[in-house]
Amino acid sequence: MGSGAKRFTLLAIIFVFALFVAGLMTGAIGAVFYQSDEDKEAGLTAEGPFIPKPEVHLPAQTVFPKSEREYYLEFLEAEEKERELGEEALSDHERALVDDGPFRGNFTILITNTLLSSWLASLLLILLFVLGARKAKLVPGRLQTFVELAIEGLLKFVEGVVGRQRARMLFPVIATIFLFVMFNAWIGLLPIYPAIGFMTGDHIQIHLLRPAGTDMNMPLALALVSFVFVEYLGFRMLGIGYLTKFVRIGSLKRGVADLVRLRFLGAFQNLLDFFFVGPLEAFSELVRLISFTFRLFGNMTAGEILVLVSAFLVPFIATIGVYGLELLVGFIQALIFAGLTLVFAAIAMIPHDAEAH
Amino acid sequence: MLETLGIHFPSLIIYLVNFVLLLGLLYLFAYKPILRIMDERADRIRDSLAAADQARAEAASSHEAIEEQLNEARREGQRLLDQAREAARRFRDEEMDRARQEAETFVSRARSDIQRERDAAIEEVRANFGDLAITAAERVLRRTLDRQAHQDLIAQVLEEGESLSRG
Repeated sequence: MGSGAKRFTLLAIIFVFALFVAGLMTGAIGAVFYQSDEDKEAGLTAEGPFIPKPEVHLPAQTVFPKSEREYYLEFLEAEEKERELGEEALSDHERALVDDGPFRGNFTILITNTLLSSWLASLLLILLFVLGARKAKLVPGRLQTFVELAIEGLLKFVEGVVGRQRARMLFPVIATIFLFVMFNAWIGLLPIYPAIGFMTGDHIQIHLLRPAGTDMNMPLALALVSFVFVEYLGFRMLGIGYLTKFVRIGSLKRGVADLVRLRFLGAFQNLLDFFFVGPLEAFSELVRLISFTFRLFGNMTAGEILVLVSAFLVPFIATIGVYGLELLVGFIQALIFAGLTLVFAAIAMIPHDAEAH
Repeated sequence: MLETLGIHFPSLIIYLVNFVLLLGLLYLFAYKPILRIMDERADRIRDSLAAADQARAEAASSHEAIEEQLNEARREGQRLLDQAREAARRFRDEEMDRARQEAETFVSRARSDIQRERDAAIEEVRANFGDLAITAAERVLRRTLDRQAHQDLIAQVLEEGESLSRG
Protein backbone atom coordinates (compact mmCIF):
# COMPACT_ATOMS: atom_id res chain seq x y z
CA MET A 1 0.00 0.00 0.00
CA GLY A 2 1.49 3.32 -1.09
CA SER A 3 1.50 6.41 1.05
CA GLY A 4 -1.19 7.90 -1.25
CA ALA A 5 -3.52 5.04 -0.50
CA LYS A 6 -2.73 5.35 3.20
CA ARG A 7 -3.54 9.01 3.16
CA PHE A 8 -6.76 8.31 1.29
CA THR A 9 -7.81 5.70 3.84
CA LEU A 10 -7.05 8.08 6.65
CA LEU A 11 -9.10 10.84 5.02
CA ALA A 12 -11.98 8.44 4.48
CA ILE A 13 -11.93 7.41 8.12
CA ILE A 14 -11.90 11.04 9.22
CA PHE A 15 -14.73 11.84 6.85
CA VAL A 16 -16.88 8.96 8.08
CA PHE A 17 -16.13 9.91 11.67
CA ALA A 18 -17.11 13.53 10.98
CA LEU A 19 -20.33 12.33 9.42
CA PHE A 20 -20.94 10.18 12.45
CA VAL A 21 -20.48 13.14 14.80
CA ALA A 22 -22.70 15.32 12.64
CA GLY A 23 -25.28 12.56 12.58
CA LEU A 24 -25.21 12.21 16.32
CA MET A 25 -25.56 15.95 16.81
CA THR A 26 -28.38 16.51 14.36
CA GLY A 27 -30.22 13.28 14.93
CA ALA A 28 -32.72 12.29 17.57
CA ILE A 29 -30.11 10.58 19.69
CA GLY A 30 -28.12 13.79 19.99
CA ALA A 31 -31.29 15.80 20.52
CA VAL A 32 -32.01 13.91 23.72
CA PHE A 33 -29.09 15.70 25.35
CA TYR A 34 -30.32 19.21 24.70
CA GLN A 35 -34.03 18.55 25.01
CA SER A 36 -35.67 20.92 27.47
CA ASP A 37 -36.82 19.43 30.77
CA GLU A 38 -40.43 20.41 30.11
CA ASP A 39 -40.48 18.45 26.90
CA LYS A 40 -38.91 15.51 28.66
CA GLU A 41 -41.54 15.55 31.32
CA ALA A 42 -44.28 15.88 28.74
CA GLY A 43 -42.94 12.62 27.26
CA LEU A 44 -42.28 14.14 23.88
CA THR A 45 -39.86 12.45 21.53
CA ALA A 46 -36.66 14.37 21.03
CA GLU A 47 -36.32 15.60 17.44
CA GLY A 48 -33.25 16.72 15.59
CA PRO A 49 -33.29 20.10 13.88
CA PHE A 50 -33.63 18.74 10.33
CA ILE A 51 -35.52 15.51 10.38
CA PRO A 52 -38.89 15.36 12.10
CA LYS A 53 -40.18 12.26 13.78
CA PRO A 54 -41.24 9.95 10.95
CA GLU A 55 -44.86 9.09 10.60
CA VAL A 56 -45.72 5.91 8.82
CA HIS A 57 -49.24 5.29 7.63
CA LEU A 58 -50.03 1.85 6.38
CA PRO A 59 -52.37 2.93 3.57
CA ALA A 60 -50.83 4.57 0.57
CA GLN A 61 -51.43 8.29 0.31
CA THR A 62 -53.62 9.66 -2.42
CA VAL A 63 -51.72 12.10 -4.59
CA PHE A 64 -54.09 12.73 -7.46
CA PRO A 65 -56.74 13.92 -8.06
CA LYS A 66 -56.36 17.00 -5.88
CA SER A 67 -59.81 16.78 -4.26
CA GLU A 68 -59.02 13.26 -3.08
CA ARG A 69 -55.67 14.40 -1.76
CA GLU A 70 -57.35 17.09 0.29
CA TYR A 71 -59.87 14.59 1.52
CA TYR A 72 -57.02 12.34 2.57
CA LEU A 73 -55.39 15.21 4.47
CA GLU A 74 -58.63 15.87 6.29
CA PHE A 75 -58.85 12.21 7.15
CA LEU A 76 -55.31 12.24 8.51
CA GLU A 77 -56.07 15.22 10.74
CA ALA A 78 -59.23 13.62 12.03
CA GLU A 79 -57.38 10.40 12.71
CA GLU A 80 -54.65 12.20 14.61
CA LYS A 81 -57.17 14.10 16.63
CA GLU A 82 -58.89 10.88 17.55
CA ARG A 83 -55.59 9.38 18.61
CA GLU A 84 -54.65 12.34 20.77
CA LEU A 85 -57.93 13.45 22.24
CA GLY A 86 -60.14 10.39 22.02
CA GLU A 87 -63.26 9.70 20.02
CA GLU A 88 -65.45 12.08 22.07
CA ALA A 89 -63.61 15.19 20.85
CA LEU A 90 -64.44 14.54 17.20
CA SER A 91 -67.12 16.48 15.41
CA ASP A 92 -69.68 14.53 13.41
CA HIS A 93 -67.89 15.39 10.19
CA GLU A 94 -64.59 14.17 11.54
CA ARG A 95 -66.16 11.01 12.91
CA ALA A 96 -67.65 10.32 9.51
CA LEU A 97 -64.20 10.83 7.99
CA VAL A 98 -62.58 8.36 10.36
CA ASP A 99 -65.34 5.85 9.78
CA ASP A 100 -65.11 6.18 6.02
CA GLY A 101 -61.40 5.44 6.03
CA PRO A 102 -58.59 6.89 3.95
CA PHE A 103 -60.18 6.26 0.61
CA ARG A 104 -63.55 7.78 -0.04
CA GLY A 105 -65.82 5.22 -1.54
CA ASN A 106 -64.67 1.95 -3.00
CA PHE A 107 -64.94 2.71 -6.67
CA THR A 108 -63.10 5.95 -7.27
CA ILE A 109 -59.86 5.61 -9.13
CA LEU A 110 -57.12 7.14 -7.01
CA ILE A 111 -53.56 7.81 -8.03
CA THR A 112 -51.64 6.98 -4.89
CA ASN A 113 -47.97 7.67 -4.35
CA THR A 114 -47.22 3.94 -4.37
CA LEU A 115 -49.00 3.58 -7.69
CA LEU A 116 -46.90 6.40 -9.13
CA SER A 117 -43.81 4.69 -7.85
CA SER A 118 -44.83 1.37 -9.38
CA TRP A 119 -45.40 3.14 -12.69
CA LEU A 120 -41.95 4.63 -12.45
CA ALA A 121 -40.48 1.20 -11.74
CA SER A 122 -42.42 -0.36 -14.61
CA LEU A 123 -41.33 2.41 -16.94
CA LEU A 124 -37.70 1.91 -15.98
CA LEU A 125 -38.02 -1.83 -16.46
CA ILE A 126 -39.61 -1.44 -19.87
CA LEU A 127 -37.07 1.16 -20.93
CA LEU A 128 -34.15 -0.95 -19.82
CA PHE A 129 -35.37 -4.22 -21.26
CA VAL A 130 -37.00 -2.98 -24.42
CA LEU A 131 -33.98 -0.81 -25.26
CA GLY A 132 -31.72 -3.74 -24.49
CA ALA A 133 -33.75 -6.09 -26.65
CA ARG A 134 -34.41 -3.65 -29.46
CA LYS A 135 -32.69 -4.78 -32.63
CA ALA A 136 -31.22 -7.69 -30.70
CA LYS A 137 -28.13 -8.87 -32.47
CA LEU A 138 -26.17 -12.11 -32.43
CA VAL A 139 -23.17 -10.15 -31.27
CA PRO A 140 -24.68 -8.17 -28.39
CA GLY A 141 -23.93 -4.63 -27.30
CA ARG A 142 -23.45 -3.69 -23.66
CA LEU A 143 -27.07 -3.11 -22.77
CA GLN A 144 -28.14 -6.22 -24.61
CA THR A 145 -25.52 -8.25 -22.76
CA PHE A 146 -26.87 -6.96 -19.47
CA VAL A 147 -30.46 -7.76 -20.38
CA GLU A 148 -29.44 -11.18 -21.66
CA LEU A 149 -27.59 -11.83 -18.44
CA ALA A 150 -30.72 -11.09 -16.41
CA ILE A 151 -33.01 -13.08 -18.66
CA GLU A 152 -30.69 -16.04 -18.91
CA GLY A 153 -30.16 -16.10 -15.16
CA LEU A 154 -33.91 -16.15 -14.58
CA LEU A 155 -34.42 -18.76 -17.28
CA LYS A 156 -31.82 -21.00 -15.65
CA PHE A 157 -33.58 -20.48 -12.34
CA VAL A 158 -36.89 -21.62 -13.86
CA GLU A 159 -35.26 -24.48 -15.73
CA GLY A 160 -33.70 -25.69 -12.51
CA VAL A 161 -37.15 -26.24 -11.01
CA VAL A 162 -39.39 -27.39 -13.87
CA GLY A 163 -36.94 -28.59 -16.51
CA ARG A 164 -36.15 -27.27 -19.96
CA GLN A 165 -39.41 -28.07 -21.74
CA ARG A 166 -41.77 -26.32 -19.35
CA ALA A 167 -39.39 -23.48 -18.49
CA ARG A 168 -40.34 -21.45 -21.56
CA MET A 169 -44.00 -21.61 -20.61
CA LEU A 170 -43.49 -20.45 -17.02
CA PHE A 171 -40.64 -18.07 -17.62
CA PRO A 172 -42.44 -14.82 -18.60
CA VAL A 173 -44.64 -14.65 -15.52
CA ILE A 174 -41.93 -15.72 -13.09
CA ALA A 175 -39.39 -13.31 -14.56
CA THR A 176 -41.83 -10.42 -14.56
CA ILE A 177 -42.79 -11.05 -10.94
CA PHE A 178 -39.13 -11.14 -9.98
CA LEU A 179 -38.19 -8.01 -11.87
CA PHE A 180 -41.25 -6.07 -10.78
CA VAL A 181 -40.78 -6.84 -7.10
CA MET A 182 -37.06 -6.13 -7.18
CA PHE A 183 -37.31 -2.90 -9.13
CA ASN A 184 -40.07 -1.65 -6.89
CA ALA A 185 -38.01 -2.40 -3.81
CA TRP A 186 -34.83 -0.85 -5.15
CA ILE A 187 -36.41 2.22 -6.66
CA GLY A 188 -37.76 3.06 -3.20
CA LEU A 189 -34.21 3.54 -2.00
CA LEU A 190 -33.68 6.55 -4.23
CA PRO A 191 -33.12 9.62 -2.07
CA ILE A 192 -35.79 11.57 -3.95
CA TYR A 193 -38.47 9.40 -2.38
CA PRO A 194 -38.51 11.00 1.05
CA ALA A 195 -37.61 14.41 -0.39
CA ILE A 196 -40.49 15.23 -2.73
CA GLY A 197 -44.02 15.75 -1.49
CA PHE A 198 -46.84 18.05 -0.57
CA MET A 199 -46.07 20.24 2.41
CA THR A 200 -48.39 21.14 5.20
CA GLY A 201 -46.68 23.62 7.47
CA ASP A 202 -43.01 22.86 7.66
CA HIS A 203 -42.98 19.18 6.85
CA ILE A 204 -44.03 16.91 4.05
CA GLN A 205 -47.41 15.44 4.81
CA ILE A 206 -47.90 13.46 1.62
CA HIS A 207 -44.95 12.14 -0.33
CA LEU A 208 -45.19 12.13 -4.07
CA LEU A 209 -43.56 8.72 -4.28
CA ARG A 210 -43.47 5.76 -1.94
CA PRO A 211 -42.15 2.23 -2.53
CA ALA A 212 -45.01 0.24 -4.03
CA GLY A 213 -44.38 -2.77 -1.84
CA THR A 214 -45.57 -0.78 1.18
CA ASP A 215 -49.02 -0.56 -0.36
CA MET A 216 -50.97 -3.71 0.44
CA ASN A 217 -52.66 -3.58 -2.97
CA MET A 218 -49.46 -4.27 -4.85
CA PRO A 219 -48.46 -7.49 -3.04
CA LEU A 220 -52.10 -8.56 -3.08
CA ALA A 221 -52.31 -8.03 -6.83
CA LEU A 222 -49.12 -10.02 -7.32
CA ALA A 223 -50.40 -12.75 -5.04
CA LEU A 224 -53.59 -12.92 -7.09
CA VAL A 225 -51.54 -13.14 -10.28
CA SER A 226 -49.46 -15.89 -8.73
CA PHE A 227 -52.58 -17.74 -7.53
CA VAL A 228 -54.36 -17.54 -10.88
CA PHE A 229 -51.18 -18.55 -12.67
CA VAL A 230 -50.68 -21.62 -10.51
CA GLU A 231 -54.29 -22.78 -10.78
CA TYR A 232 -54.31 -22.10 -14.52
CA LEU A 233 -51.21 -24.22 -15.01
CA GLY A 234 -52.75 -27.00 -12.92
CA PHE A 235 -55.85 -27.07 -15.08
CA ARG A 236 -53.88 -26.73 -18.28
CA MET A 237 -51.57 -29.63 -17.46
CA LEU A 238 -54.03 -31.98 -15.79
CA GLY A 239 -57.39 -30.86 -17.18
CA ILE A 240 -60.41 -31.18 -14.98
CA GLY A 241 -58.55 -33.91 -13.10
CA TYR A 242 -56.68 -31.16 -11.29
CA LEU A 243 -59.77 -30.73 -9.11
CA THR A 244 -59.38 -34.23 -7.69
CA LYS A 245 -56.53 -32.77 -5.66
CA PHE A 246 -59.14 -30.96 -3.61
CA VAL A 247 -62.16 -33.20 -4.07
CA ARG A 248 -60.64 -36.61 -3.60
CA ILE A 249 -63.31 -38.76 -5.20
CA GLY A 250 -61.01 -41.77 -5.47
CA SER A 251 -60.49 -41.76 -1.72
CA LEU A 252 -64.24 -41.47 -1.12
CA LYS A 253 -64.93 -44.49 -3.35
CA ARG A 254 -62.23 -46.56 -1.70
CA GLY A 255 -63.45 -45.47 1.72
CA VAL A 256 -67.04 -46.52 1.02
CA ALA A 257 -65.85 -49.81 -0.45
CA ASP A 258 -63.76 -50.45 2.66
CA LEU A 259 -66.72 -49.59 4.84
CA VAL A 260 -68.92 -52.10 3.01
CA ARG A 261 -66.26 -54.76 3.47
CA LEU A 262 -65.99 -53.77 7.14
CA ARG A 263 -62.34 -52.76 6.86
CA PHE A 264 -62.57 -49.88 9.24
CA LEU A 265 -58.96 -48.75 9.30
CA GLY A 266 -58.81 -48.41 5.53
CA ALA A 267 -62.20 -46.73 5.51
CA PHE A 268 -61.05 -44.27 8.15
CA GLN A 269 -57.88 -43.41 6.24
CA ASN A 270 -59.66 -42.89 2.95
CA LEU A 271 -62.56 -40.93 4.37
CA LEU A 272 -60.11 -38.77 6.29
CA ASP A 273 -58.31 -38.15 3.02
CA PHE A 274 -61.57 -37.11 1.37
CA PHE A 275 -63.08 -35.04 4.14
CA PHE A 276 -59.97 -33.51 5.64
CA VAL A 277 -56.88 -33.59 3.39
CA GLY A 278 -58.74 -32.45 0.27
CA PRO A 279 -60.26 -29.36 1.89
CA LEU A 280 -56.94 -28.71 3.60
CA GLU A 281 -55.24 -28.61 0.21
CA ALA A 282 -57.83 -26.17 -1.07
CA PHE A 283 -57.46 -24.07 2.04
CA SER A 284 -53.68 -23.99 1.71
CA GLU A 285 -54.01 -22.62 -1.82
CA LEU A 286 -56.03 -19.74 -0.43
CA VAL A 287 -53.73 -19.19 2.51
CA ARG A 288 -50.87 -18.70 0.08
CA LEU A 289 -52.62 -15.56 -1.11
CA ILE A 290 -52.39 -14.11 2.37
CA SER A 291 -48.87 -15.30 3.07
CA PHE A 292 -47.64 -13.95 -0.25
CA THR A 293 -49.28 -10.60 0.39
CA PHE A 294 -48.14 -10.10 3.93
CA ARG A 295 -44.62 -11.40 3.42
CA LEU A 296 -43.87 -8.86 0.73
CA PHE A 297 -45.87 -6.07 2.35
CA GLY A 298 -44.27 -6.68 5.73
CA ASN A 299 -40.75 -6.77 4.39
CA MET A 300 -41.15 -3.68 2.28
CA THR A 301 -42.89 -1.71 5.02
CA ALA A 302 -40.32 -2.78 7.57
CA GLY A 303 -37.60 -1.67 5.18
CA GLU A 304 -39.23 1.71 4.72
CA ILE A 305 -39.61 2.17 8.46
CA LEU A 306 -36.03 1.05 9.05
CA VAL A 307 -34.72 3.61 6.58
CA LEU A 308 -36.84 6.38 8.09
CA VAL A 309 -35.97 5.50 11.68
CA SER A 310 -32.27 5.12 10.98
CA ALA A 311 -32.28 8.50 9.26
CA PHE A 312 -34.17 9.98 12.17
CA LEU A 313 -31.92 8.58 14.89
CA VAL A 314 -28.50 9.08 13.37
CA PRO A 315 -28.74 10.87 10.03
CA PHE A 316 -26.05 10.44 7.33
CA ILE A 317 -24.41 7.40 8.80
CA ALA A 318 -26.85 4.78 10.05
CA THR A 319 -28.75 4.78 6.79
CA ILE A 320 -25.73 3.49 4.86
CA GLY A 321 -25.84 0.07 6.45
CA VAL A 322 -29.63 -0.03 6.21
CA TYR A 323 -29.42 0.72 2.50
CA GLY A 324 -27.09 -2.21 1.95
CA LEU A 325 -29.47 -4.39 3.87
CA GLU A 326 -32.46 -3.12 1.91
CA LEU A 327 -30.77 -3.86 -1.41
CA LEU A 328 -30.34 -7.42 -0.25
CA VAL A 329 -33.90 -7.62 1.08
CA GLY A 330 -35.30 -6.34 -2.21
CA PHE A 331 -33.43 -9.01 -4.13
CA ILE A 332 -34.33 -11.76 -1.70
CA GLN A 333 -38.01 -10.86 -1.54
CA ALA A 334 -38.16 -10.84 -5.33
CA LEU A 335 -36.47 -14.22 -5.39
CA ILE A 336 -38.83 -15.60 -2.77
CA PHE A 337 -41.96 -14.31 -4.48
CA ALA A 338 -40.90 -15.58 -7.89
CA GLY A 339 -39.41 -18.79 -6.48
CA LEU A 340 -42.47 -19.72 -4.45
CA THR A 341 -44.75 -19.06 -7.39
CA LEU A 342 -42.48 -21.26 -9.47
CA VAL A 343 -42.46 -24.07 -6.94
CA PHE A 344 -46.22 -23.93 -6.41
CA ALA A 345 -46.70 -24.02 -10.17
CA ALA A 346 -44.35 -26.99 -10.43
CA ILE A 347 -46.32 -28.79 -7.71
CA ALA A 348 -49.65 -27.97 -9.36
CA MET A 349 -48.46 -29.51 -12.63
CA ILE A 350 -47.67 -32.89 -11.06
CA PRO A 351 -50.50 -35.42 -11.25
CA HIS A 352 -51.36 -36.29 -7.66
CA ASP A 353 -53.27 -39.52 -8.27
CA ALA A 354 -49.94 -41.28 -8.49
CA GLU A 355 -48.89 -40.13 -5.04
CA ALA A 356 -52.23 -41.09 -3.49
CA HIS A 357 -51.70 -44.84 -3.56
CA MET B 1 -60.54 -3.11 8.54
CA LEU B 2 -59.41 -3.67 4.96
CA GLU B 3 -59.17 0.07 4.42
CA THR B 4 -57.06 0.50 7.51
CA LEU B 5 -54.58 -1.85 5.94
CA GLY B 6 -54.85 0.19 2.78
CA ILE B 7 -56.65 -2.30 0.58
CA HIS B 8 -58.56 -0.39 -2.03
CA PHE B 9 -60.41 -2.26 -4.71
CA PRO B 10 -59.83 0.12 -7.67
CA SER B 11 -56.13 0.34 -6.80
CA LEU B 12 -55.95 -3.43 -6.72
CA ILE B 13 -57.48 -3.61 -10.17
CA ILE B 14 -55.07 -0.96 -11.44
CA TYR B 15 -52.11 -2.91 -10.05
CA LEU B 16 -53.40 -6.07 -11.71
CA VAL B 17 -53.85 -4.32 -15.04
CA ASN B 18 -50.42 -2.74 -14.68
CA PHE B 19 -48.81 -6.07 -14.04
CA VAL B 20 -50.53 -7.75 -16.97
CA LEU B 21 -49.54 -4.84 -19.22
CA LEU B 22 -45.97 -5.00 -18.00
CA LEU B 23 -45.93 -8.75 -18.56
CA GLY B 24 -47.28 -8.34 -22.07
CA LEU B 25 -44.87 -5.57 -22.99
CA LEU B 26 -41.85 -7.32 -21.55
CA TYR B 27 -42.88 -10.59 -23.20
CA LEU B 28 -43.38 -9.07 -26.62
CA PHE B 29 -40.50 -6.61 -26.67
CA ALA B 30 -37.91 -8.13 -24.37
CA TYR B 31 -38.25 -11.81 -23.50
CA LYS B 32 -39.30 -13.00 -26.92
CA PRO B 33 -36.63 -11.25 -29.02
CA ILE B 34 -33.91 -11.91 -26.47
CA LEU B 35 -34.76 -15.57 -26.08
CA ARG B 36 -35.01 -15.91 -29.85
CA ILE B 37 -31.63 -14.31 -30.36
CA MET B 38 -30.13 -16.43 -27.58
CA ASP B 39 -31.51 -19.61 -29.14
CA GLU B 40 -30.26 -18.48 -32.50
CA ARG B 41 -26.84 -17.85 -31.05
CA ALA B 42 -26.81 -21.22 -29.34
CA ASP B 43 -27.79 -22.88 -32.62
CA ARG B 44 -25.16 -20.92 -34.46
CA ILE B 45 -22.48 -21.88 -31.97
CA ARG B 46 -23.55 -25.52 -32.05
CA ASP B 47 -23.47 -25.49 -35.84
CA SER B 48 -20.09 -23.79 -36.00
CA LEU B 49 -18.65 -26.22 -33.49
CA ALA B 50 -19.95 -29.13 -35.55
CA ALA B 51 -18.60 -27.51 -38.70
CA ALA B 52 -15.24 -26.95 -37.02
CA ASP B 53 -15.15 -30.58 -35.94
CA GLN B 54 -16.02 -31.68 -39.42
CA ALA B 55 -13.41 -29.39 -40.92
CA ARG B 56 -10.84 -30.72 -38.48
CA ALA B 57 -11.75 -34.29 -39.39
CA GLU B 58 -11.63 -33.41 -43.05
CA ALA B 59 -8.29 -31.72 -42.64
CA ALA B 60 -6.98 -34.77 -40.80
CA SER B 61 -8.27 -37.13 -43.45
CA SER B 62 -6.94 -34.96 -46.28
CA HIS B 63 -3.63 -34.76 -44.47
CA GLU B 64 -3.65 -38.52 -44.36
CA ALA B 65 -4.50 -38.66 -48.04
CA ILE B 66 -1.68 -36.29 -48.85
CA GLU B 67 0.67 -38.34 -46.75
CA GLU B 68 -0.52 -41.43 -48.55
CA GLN B 69 0.01 -39.77 -51.91
CA LEU B 70 3.41 -38.63 -50.86
CA ASN B 71 4.34 -42.10 -49.77
CA GLU B 72 2.95 -43.47 -52.99
CA ALA B 73 5.01 -40.96 -54.95
CA ARG B 74 8.04 -41.79 -52.91
CA ARG B 75 7.52 -45.47 -53.55
CA GLU B 76 6.91 -44.77 -57.24
CA GLY B 77 10.08 -42.71 -57.43
CA GLN B 78 12.02 -45.43 -55.70
CA ARG B 79 10.57 -47.95 -58.10
CA LEU B 80 11.47 -45.80 -61.12
CA LEU B 81 14.93 -45.29 -59.75
CA ASP B 82 15.36 -49.00 -59.22
CA GLN B 83 14.04 -49.62 -62.68
CA ALA B 84 16.43 -47.10 -64.15
CA ARG B 85 19.30 -48.54 -62.19
CA GLU B 86 18.35 -52.01 -63.34
CA ALA B 87 18.05 -50.85 -66.92
CA ALA B 88 21.40 -49.14 -66.71
CA ARG B 89 22.96 -52.24 -65.29
CA ARG B 90 21.42 -54.40 -67.97
CA PHE B 91 22.48 -51.95 -70.65
CA ARG B 92 25.99 -51.90 -69.32
CA ASP B 93 26.10 -55.67 -69.18
CA GLU B 94 24.71 -55.93 -72.67
CA GLU B 95 27.16 -53.37 -73.94
CA MET B 96 29.99 -55.10 -72.26
CA ASP B 97 28.89 -58.43 -73.65
CA ARG B 98 28.60 -56.99 -77.07
CA ALA B 99 31.98 -55.35 -76.79
CA ARG B 100 33.47 -58.54 -75.60
CA GLN B 101 31.86 -60.44 -78.45
CA GLU B 102 33.01 -57.87 -80.93
CA ALA B 103 36.46 -58.02 -79.53
CA GLU B 104 36.35 -61.75 -79.72
CA THR B 105 35.14 -61.73 -83.33
CA PHE B 106 37.82 -59.22 -84.04
CA VAL B 107 40.46 -61.34 -82.45
CA SER B 108 39.25 -64.55 -84.07
CA ARG B 109 39.00 -62.83 -87.41
CA ALA B 110 42.46 -61.48 -86.92
CA ARG B 111 43.64 -64.88 -85.91
CA SER B 112 42.09 -66.55 -88.96
CA ASP B 113 43.53 -63.80 -91.12
CA ILE B 114 46.92 -64.45 -89.63
CA GLN B 115 46.47 -68.16 -90.10
CA ARG B 116 45.47 -67.63 -93.69
CA GLU B 117 48.39 -65.31 -94.29
CA ARG B 118 50.72 -67.80 -92.71
CA ASP B 119 49.27 -70.64 -94.72
CA ALA B 120 49.66 -68.59 -97.88
CA ALA B 121 53.16 -67.69 -96.86
CA ILE B 122 54.00 -71.27 -96.14
CA GLU B 123 52.46 -72.34 -99.45
CA GLU B 124 54.54 -69.76 -101.23
CA VAL B 125 57.58 -70.71 -99.31
CA ARG B 126 56.88 -74.29 -100.07
CA ALA B 127 56.50 -73.54 -103.79
CA ASN B 128 59.59 -71.43 -103.85
CA PHE B 129 61.44 -73.83 -101.63
CA GLY B 130 60.86 -76.69 -104.16
CA ASP B 131 62.35 -74.70 -106.96
CA LEU B 132 65.07 -73.50 -104.71
CA ALA B 133 65.86 -76.98 -103.56
CA ILE B 134 65.91 -78.28 -107.13
CA THR B 135 68.14 -75.48 -108.12
CA ALA B 136 70.31 -76.13 -105.15
CA ALA B 137 70.41 -79.82 -105.77
CA GLU B 138 71.18 -79.27 -109.43
CA ARG B 139 73.92 -77.04 -108.36
CA VAL B 140 75.23 -79.52 -105.88
CA LEU B 141 74.90 -82.56 -107.89
CA ARG B 142 75.48 -81.04 -111.20
CA ARG B 143 73.63 -83.83 -112.57
CA THR B 144 70.35 -84.34 -113.96
CA LEU B 145 68.01 -86.70 -112.53
CA ASP B 146 64.83 -87.69 -114.14
CA ARG B 147 62.06 -85.48 -113.33
CA GLN B 148 60.01 -88.07 -111.51
CA ALA B 149 62.83 -88.94 -109.20
CA HIS B 150 63.27 -85.32 -108.49
CA GLN B 151 59.75 -84.73 -107.60
CA ASP B 152 59.72 -87.65 -105.21
CA LEU B 153 62.85 -86.49 -103.63
CA ILE B 154 61.48 -83.00 -103.22
CA ALA B 155 58.29 -84.26 -101.71
CA GLN B 156 60.30 -86.30 -99.33
CA VAL B 157 62.41 -83.32 -98.40
CA LEU B 158 59.29 -81.15 -97.93
CA GLU B 159 57.69 -83.78 -95.86
CA GLU B 160 60.66 -83.78 -93.65
CA GLY B 161 60.80 -80.00 -93.68
CA GLU B 162 57.15 -79.75 -92.79
CA SER B 163 57.39 -82.19 -89.99
CA LEU B 164 60.39 -80.29 -88.88
CA SER B 165 58.61 -76.95 -88.94
CA ARG B 166 55.62 -78.42 -87.14
CA GLY B 167 57.63 -80.26 -84.66
